[in-house]
Amino acid sequence: MLYSLAIKNILASKSRTLTIFLLSMFTTAFFIVYVAYTDGSHEQMIKSSVEIYTGYAHINTKGYQEESDYDHLIEDAKQVETFLKQKPFVSNFSPRFETYVLLSQKEKTVGSMLSGIIPSRESSLSRLKSALIKGSYLEDNDTRAIYLGSDLAKRLSVDVGDEIAMIGSSLDYSTAADLFVVKGIFRTGLFDFDLSSAFVNKDYLDSIMMSENKASYFVLDFDDNQAADSYTKILSKSLPSSYEALSWQALLSALVQLMQVDSLFGYISISVFFIVIFFVIMIFSYVNIYSRVRQIGLLRALGLTSKDIRILLFNELLIITLVSVSLGAVIGAAATYYLEVYPITISGLADTYKEYGIVSDTIPTHFDAFTIAWNTFSIFILNLSSIFYPIYKINKLSVTEAMRYV
Amino acid sequence: MKYLLSFIFIFASSLYGSEADDIIKAVEDNLRGDFMYAKMSMVVTGGRGKRTVGMESWSQGDTKSFIKILYPKKDKGITFLKLDTQMWQYIPKIERTIKIPPSMMLQSWMGSDFTNDDMVKESSMIKDYNARLLSRSSTIATIELLPKSNAAVVWGKILVDVDLSNKVPTKEIYYDDQMQKVRIMTFSNVQRHGSHSLPMVMELKPLDIEKKKNSTKVIFEKVNYDTPIDASYFSKNALKRYSN
Repeated sequence: MLYSLAIKNILASKSRTLTIFLLSMFTTAFFIVYVAYTDGSHEQMIKSSVEIYTGYAHINTKGYQEESDYDHLIEDAKQVETFLKQKPFVSNFSPRFETYVLLSQKEKTVGSMLSGIIPSRESSLSRLKSALIKGSYLEDNDTRAIYLGSDLAKRLSVDVGDEIAMIGSSLDYSTAADLFVVKGIFRTGLFDFDLSSAFVNKDYLDSIMMSENKASYFVLDFDDNQAADSYTKILSKSLPSSYEALSWQALLSALVQLMQVDSLFGYISISVFFIVIFFVIMIFSYVNIYSRVRQIGLLRALGLTSKDIRILLFNELLIITLVSVSLGAVIGAAATYYLEVYPITISGLADTYKEYGIVSDTIPTHFDAFTIAWNTFSIFILNLSSIFYPIYKINKLSVTEAMRYV
Repeated sequence: MKYLLSFIFIFASSLYGSEADDIIKAVEDNLRGDFMYAKMSMVVTGGRGKRTVGMESWSQGDTKSFIKILYPKKDKGITFLKLDTQMWQYIPKIERTIKIPPSMMLQSWMGSDFTNDDMVKESSMIKDYNARLLSRSSTIATIELLPKSNAAVVWGKILVDVDLSNKVPTKEIYYDDQMQKVRIMTFSNVQRHGSHSLPMVMELKPLDIEKKKNSTKVIFEKVNYDTPIDASYFSKNALKRYSN
C-alpha cells in the first residue's frame, strides 16, 4: 500500500518529481563522464610516457635508480639476456647504455643524455623509430651516426648530415670523444626528452666507452603489459640478489603520484558541485513535504505510524532516484564508451598537450564498468541521504499540529 | 650591564670576522702567488678501480690557468683553459675545442671527485664567503665560511682548519645547503717553495655512502712560484698549440 501511495504522490507532485529526476540523471551522467575523462587523460599521459621511451619494465642493479652512474652498471649483460630468454612472458627486451655527455657543434655545447641502443630491437620497445621527423632511424651496423631529439638539434643548430662532437667519460673514466653525423631527428612531444636525448648504435658506443657487455639497464615488454607489476615481482624473485626488476609504476612513480593528486583535486572540485545538488534536492523534498503536511497529518490520523510516514517519504525519493540514477548511468556509460571509441579531437591544442606529455591531441575517456558502477552508487546514496532531514522535521510535528498546518 | 655585554660581543664578533678574513686572505695569497707552474699527478680511486692522471699547470693570479694532461696515453694532450669563470677544453683526438657550459659545472672533472666548478672557482673563498673564526690556538685556526647572500656558490658552508705558521689549510669540510657534510679535503706534506708554502699532497674524499670507495689524491711533483708565465698560455689558441 505504501508503495502504491508513494507512486501516486510522485505522479501528483510533477514539478518536484521532474526537478529531482532531471538533477539526479544529469548529475549521474556528468559524474560518470567526468571521471572517465580524468582517468582517460591520465591513462594517456602515462601510456605516452611509458611507450615513448621508458618502457613497461626495467631490470637494473640495485641502487641504479638512485645513482645512475658507472658504479651501478649491469656488468654482465649476456647473463641477463640469457635469463630473460628463459622467461616466456617476456615478449621483447633490449639493453640500453646511458651516459651523460657533451655534444658540441662550433660554438655551441650542450649537455645531453646519450643512449646506446640496439636499433632493431628498440623499435618494438619504444616509439623512437616512429617519432622520426627528418632523415632516417638508426640501424644495427651504424657507426658514427647519431639520432637527435628535435629540440636538442635546434639548440645545437644542426640538421641531418651535420657533424657534431661528443665528449664524455668512458668506463675507466678516461675521456671518450668522437665525431658523429646526424642521421635522423625525432620528435616525441615530451619536451625535456626531445631537448636532451640522443641515441647511437650501442655496439659502436660500447667501443668508445669501453662498455662492451655492459648495460645501464634492460627494458622489457611482456605478453600482457597490464600485468607488468606482477611480472616484475616474479622476475625480481628469480634474479640474482644484486638486480631488481621494476615496473613502470615504480619507474614513473612521480608521474603516477601526480596523477593521483590531480584525481584527488578533481574529486574535491566536483564534490562542491554535488553538495549543491544535494541541497537542491533536499530543499525541493523539504518544500514538497511541507506542502503536504495536512495530507500527512490526515494519514497519521487514519492510523499510519510515523515509521510508515518515514517509509512512504523514503520510498518516494527511492523510486525517483532509482529510475533517474539508472537512466543517468546508462546515458553516462554510453557516452563514455562512445568517447573512448571515438575520442574528441581538439585541433590546435596539440602543442599545449605535448607540454604535459600527451602526444595526441585527442582526449579519450576510460570506460571501466566497475568505476561506473561505483560512481552511480555514490550518487544514488548521496541523493537518498537528502531525504533524512525533511523526514526528521516532519515527524517532529504531532498529528494535530500537522492537521492544523497552513 | 647587558648593553655593555652586547657591545663587547658585537665588537668581539667583528674582530673575529676581520681576523678570519685576514687568515683566509693570507692562505689564498700564499697558495696562489702571482704566477705558478706545477707538475702533478692525480690518483683517482673509485668503484671501478684506480687510475693516475699526470698533468702540468700554469696559472696567473686567480683568474687564469692552463692545464695539460700528460698521461695516461688515452688522455695525453687534452688541455684546459680557465679564464675567470669560463672554461674550455681541447681534445686532440677529434681536434675540437669546446666550451664547458654552465650546466656541466657540477660534473666530474677528468673522472675525479673534483667538479668543473672546483677548477673554475677554486679561489673564491674570500670573495663569495663570509669568514668567521670559530677557534684558534697558537698553530691552528678553525674558520667557518658561509656564503654571502648574493654569491652563486655550490656549498652551504665550509669549515677550514688553517696551519697558521705555514699559511696553508690542513683540512676543509664541505657542507651542502642542507648543512650535511658532503666531502672532506685534507692537505699534508707542506714544503717551502721560495716565499710560498704548499701542501704537496691534497686528498679529497666524498662522504656520500654510495661513494665510500672514492677518493682523489693530488700529488705535486714540481712547483715553481717565482717565474713569470708567458701570456700565450692564457688564450684559446694555446689549447691546441700546447697540446703536443
